[in-house]
Amino acid sequence: MRPRLASVLLLVALLGAWEAWCRTGAVSVLVLPPPSSVAETLWGEIASGRLWPHLRATATEMALGLAAGTGLGLGAGILLAEWPALHRVLHPYVLASQLVPKLALGPLLILWFGFGLTPTVVITALICFFPLLENTLTGLEQVDAAKRELFRMLGASRARTLWRLKLPAALPVILAGFRVAIVLALVGAVVGEFVGGRQGLGAAIIAAQSVMDSSLILALFVVITALGMAVYEAARALESLILRRYPRG
Amino acid sequence: MPSDATLSLAGVRYRFPGDAAATVDGVDWAIPPGAVHCLLGRSGCGKTTLLKIAAGLIAPDEGLVRVGGAPVRGPAPRVGFVFQAPTLLDWLNVLDNVLLPVSLKRRPRAADRDAARDLLAAMGLGALAGRHPATLSGGQQSRVAMARALIGAPDLLLLDEPFAALDAITREELQDDLLRLCAARGTAALFVTHDIAEAAYLGDRVGVMAAGRLVHEGAVPLPRPRPPGIRYAAAFGAACRTLRAAMDAPSPAAGRAA
Repeated sequence: MRPRLASVLLLVALLGAWEAWCRTGAVSVLVLPPPSSVAETLWGEIASGRLWPHLRATATEMALGLAAGTGLGLGAGILLAEWPALHRVLHPYVLASQLVPKLALGPLLILWFGFGLTPTVVITALICFFPLLENTLTGLEQVDAAKRELFRMLGASRARTLWRLKLPAALPVILAGFRVAIVLALVGAVVGEFVGGRQGLGAAIIAAQSVMDSSLILALFVVITALGMAVYEAARALESLILRRYPRG
Repeated sequence: MPSDATLSLAGVRYRFPGDAAATVDGVDWAIPPGAVHCLLGRSGCGKTTLLKIAAGLIAPDEGLVRVGGAPVRGPAPRVGFVFQAPTLLDWLNVLDNVLLPVSLKRRPRAADRDAARDLLAAMGLGALAGRHPATLSGGQQSRVAMARALIGAPDLLLLDEPFAALDAITREELQDDLLRLCAARGTAALFVTHDIAEAAYLGDRVGVMAAGRLVHEGAVPLPRPRPPGIRYAAAFGAACRTLRAAMDAPSPAAGRAA
């Protein structure tokens, strides 16, 4: 409990210093609003209900993109792990697809899918794809050789071995990839909205920027951070629930 | 070569691709039903490879392997294998680990679960059926691995130094468990080890391997079942000395990389 208390005290101290600095008038409120003003704006957004459609849009894009990216990454990881020849052929392409800055695809995706939900979901899915692919591959390739031999001895088919041995054995590594993906999904959704969103926290930030409402931008920033921490903690809780039977370490 | 042997190896030879010398170089062996035989040798002498050939995990370049008279062409169904490490699945509890050979083929029935519980009780693990492997000691994990190998009531058990990582007392307890279960079920066993005392205690017969060949084989002149305290008897020491001498004797292939 003590380190957590220290964290909170540090936050209070930083906010206090920020507030004090703003009150000295050394910096324009347009450039850097004090925390009290940010809190007021945030409360106004919540109380007026203006925040909820944006939060819902971002959460939806994140969930859809995460689901699609996770499904594709997991599937592709299994495919490449089970067919090493395919892995060797496709590896440069997979790598290239990850080195392309996906946000640079934004304008193209808007041409293809129009403004709104779809291009952001696609960007988010592309970003989530790689950690799942990479961790699924690694996890499946790490399965203990003696255990694979055991399954061979027991006459287990390839599909059985995958389902009963390799996937459960790789699960901790796959879930670690999912935890990375969930953080990237939020970044993907918000930044995707910068490019082509009509609604969502990212689009709201762009709108606030156009009217130079730095207080609103900071308020939205607080919301995005809170959303990220909430989904990350949820993923961690889910992970420890799923892995409660696995040895630690 | 007796045709009623549970396991028979005839002229078995195997060379790993890329190796200069054969790892297993012309081995003949036969285990009659219910007998416990040991293969003794230093690390790298080819005994584990020979065991995997017997199991059907490796196909020999030459020679024939028969289990229960039928030629082996792949992992043999009536054979239980115990690996060096317990190789338990962490995400399954003890009972489900023992039932794994069954559950890979079909949904376990109540009778299967009873058989698994009986096996665990016979090993003194009856109370641990619901636990997960990570919470067990090394000796308990080895016992679970043994129960898993025995669940299908195999005619033959192949064991690859399964107790090597255990402390001396636990190892002796497990050796007694193994002999008791094999005797009670009439299961034949081929036990690979580098421990002379273990080979002398477990084996009706012991073969000594060096550089892929059998350099010595002979019956162990000790009463069966092994009386308590025999490990400290003069006859036991003599049996160990014989095996040690066979291991030290220069073999035709001596000087080859082990």
